[in-house]
Amino acid sequence: MLRLLLVTALLAGAAGAEDTWERAVRTGVLRWGADQEGGGPFVFSSEADPDRLIGFEVDLADAIGRYLRVRMEFVQGQWDRLSDMLRADKVDLVLNGYEWTPDRALAMEATAPYYVYALQLLARKGGPVRSWEDLRRGGPHRVGCLTASAAHELMLGLAGEGAPVEAIGYDGNTDSMQETLTGKLDATLQDTPIASFYAPRFPDLEPVGDAVAPGYYVMYAREGDQALVRRLNEALIVLFRSGELERIYRKYGIWNREQQQLATILETGRFFGLQKAALSEAGARGDATAEEVKLAGRQRGWAIVSRYGGQLVRAAGITVALSAISFPLAVLLGLFVALGRLYGPRWARVPLACYVEFLRGTPLMLQLYFVFFLLPELGLNIPAFACAIVGLAINYSAYESEIYRAGLQAVPRGQMEAALSLGMSRFTALRRIVVPQAARIVVPPVVNDFIALFKDTSVCSVVTIIELTKRFSVLSQGTQATIELMCLTGVLYLLMSYPLSLVSRRLEQRLETA
Amino acid sequence: MIAVEGLVKRFGRAEILSGISMRVEAGEVAAVIGPSGGGKSTFLRCLNGLEPFDAGEVRVCGFTLGPHAHDARKLQQVRQAVGFVFQQFNLFPHLTALGNCIEAPVRVLGMPRDAAAANARDMLRRVGLSGREDAYPRDLSGGQQQRVAIARALLMRPKAILFDEPTSALDPVMAAEVLEVMTDLAKDGQTMIVVTHSMHFARNVANHVHVFAGGKVVESAPPERLFADPRDETTRAFLREAGVRAS
Repeated sequence: MLRLLLVTALLAGAAGAEDTWERAVRTGVLRWGADQEGGGPFVFSSEADPDRLIGFEVDLADAIGRYLRVRMEFVQGQWDRLSDMLRADKVDLVLNGYEWTPDRALAMEATAPYYVYALQLLARKGGPVRSWEDLRRGGPHRVGCLTASAAHELMLGLAGEGAPVEAIGYDGNTDSMQETLTGKLDATLQDTPIASFYAPRFPDLEPVGDAVAPGYYVMYAREGDQALVRRLNEALIVLFRSGELERIYRKYGIWNREQQQLATILETGRFFGLQKAALSEAGARGDATAEEVKLAGRQRGWAIVSRYGGQLVRAAGITVALSAISFPLAVLLGLFVALGRLYGPRWARVPLACYVEFLRGTPLMLQLYFVFFLLPELGLNIPAFACAIVGLAINYSAYESEIYRAGLQAVPRGQMEAALSLGMSRFTALRRIVVPQAARIVVPPVVNDFIALFKDTSVCSVVTIIELTKRFSVLSQGTQATIELMCLTGVLYLLMSYPLSLVSRRLEQRLETA
Repeated sequence: MIAVEGLVKRFGRAEILSGISMRVEAGEVAAVIGPSGGGKSTFLRCLNGLEPFDAGEVRVCGFTLGPHAHDARKLQQVRQAVGFVFQQFNLFPHLTALGNCIEAPVRVLGMPRDAAAANARDMLRRVGLSGREDAYPRDLSGGQQQRVAIARALLMRPKAILFDEPTSALDPVMAAEVLEVMTDLAKDGQTMIVVTHSMHFARNVANHVHVFAGGKVVESAPPERLFADPRDETTRAFLREAGVRAS
């Protein structure tokens, strides 16, 4: 069985000789990775229709897809893990405000830039930070940025030079704007598109000084996928020349003078892989419709709950599915591990003990990363949902097996001896006599574990699954209605876990009287 | 029916049984008596393979067990042929009295549930427990539990039954109930080996009495002779301890 798996994996690896662009042509699909938790104006839920993803990168991806005649499939990923997903072949390209940096360009293939950004310092009106100079005086100043972004690097650099600045990383963009508003942070350093897009939502924040440290957003493809990069560059040139790019950026209110730089870069081909041929393909200008996406003012209270409740409930469905599928697997696996350790052949005991100790001794998140990012490198690429199920089931099987081991050991030895003395086989004795007695002992801790697993499913967001907690986090980034959504999310968790407690109590009572 | 040759059992360095030999014929009731720690229970557990042994040979109902026997299939057959009754009863607490009695006939012999239940009711009546079929072990007295355990063993139609101090955990009244059942069995010709502290049972019911001390059989004789004229010094000391007067 194992050998068969290995052979399959090797064959899959050999088939990987086909490059990404060839595969896209064959399947008609390109998967692009982005994190909707990053929010507007990149990729976010439409306020008019929360089930629809919009954003200038969504529009850009679609326009590229139209040009390349492939369907662009959005894949959710945690922002600072997108490059891992690229390497693990979970996506074909990263298109999500990834800045051009020498390090990234070495590890991946960068396209031409599609946007020129700069970094804008934002502070509370009337707050202590009034200029960049203020950051070097007094303090310490707490400045929030998106973790692992260019803004974060810049602030860490400033702190490294001895400026009284503490750079604090956040996973979403608007978190740090919110915190600046409440005074927890003194300022936040944001990419210009974010600063201008969210300006209406945060009227009490103002830009401090000029935007600094301009840089380029580029798309990244897997190392070696130069054919794909050339096609993407072609698309960019065509979209820029036709005015489509400008139309998209104007739609989200992020077109500015700086974007003229793109003309120079794209037209002169100062980047890898430019095909002069592409220039000739640039056709007629698209209709520059005056469509505009502007954020509504901040909504609060019941309006938010009724608008986004449906999305949260659906995400709760994912949470239920994850736990309901993975827990029975964990129970079964755990039972076999426990039986193996207690009654199995001697040679199996040490490996099983290692299995349990390893899984109990390392964090679930790390194990999920392992399944999701490392297995593909070994040629075994399974879908995210399956990864999550496997990770949860294996992790919990270790805890389950320890509970069962304790339960089985709590059944007196005489029970097994009596069963054997009646001529039962060891297997029958376990199944009919020992395990049923152990089951009674372990019901309360097992139900307890189920509730714990149920909540641990939130960790699965690291492998791109959007379950209840992640959906809450994405929505609160988009709407800033954190309190309302938090309450709703909490109520949903409680509604799901409380019945479990009731079932457990009933079960205990029934076993008690049996 | 049961023949033991030179049985040796060690726990680590300690030798618990140092070369036991014994024969028990069909229909015979053998009592095993002797001071605590003499290896009586261990001996009994070796006979049905609950305890592996280090040297010697055990022949039971046509099967031969050697040292360190662990042929699971053969052990299972031996255990079907030889019943075992424990000092601590070891009833299955999650099953009723009836459930305890039909589990093995159904699971091991493959009997239909109805037939097994009918047999079990008869057997429970025979040990004086009519009407308690649906009671769980925790609702039965010790004496009742031990009688269910005997019924459970009998329902497998064993050729012989091994009793490991069946009355030691019981008060005298309950012990009497159990001994009565065992006496009936002996009258019916059931082959039995009984490790016991009940000198009354050994004297009046057993056909043959074996005295164990220090891992050896120090004396074997019919009860009339053994109790009237104990020849071994250890036997005499033990019987004095046990308050048995030579008659």
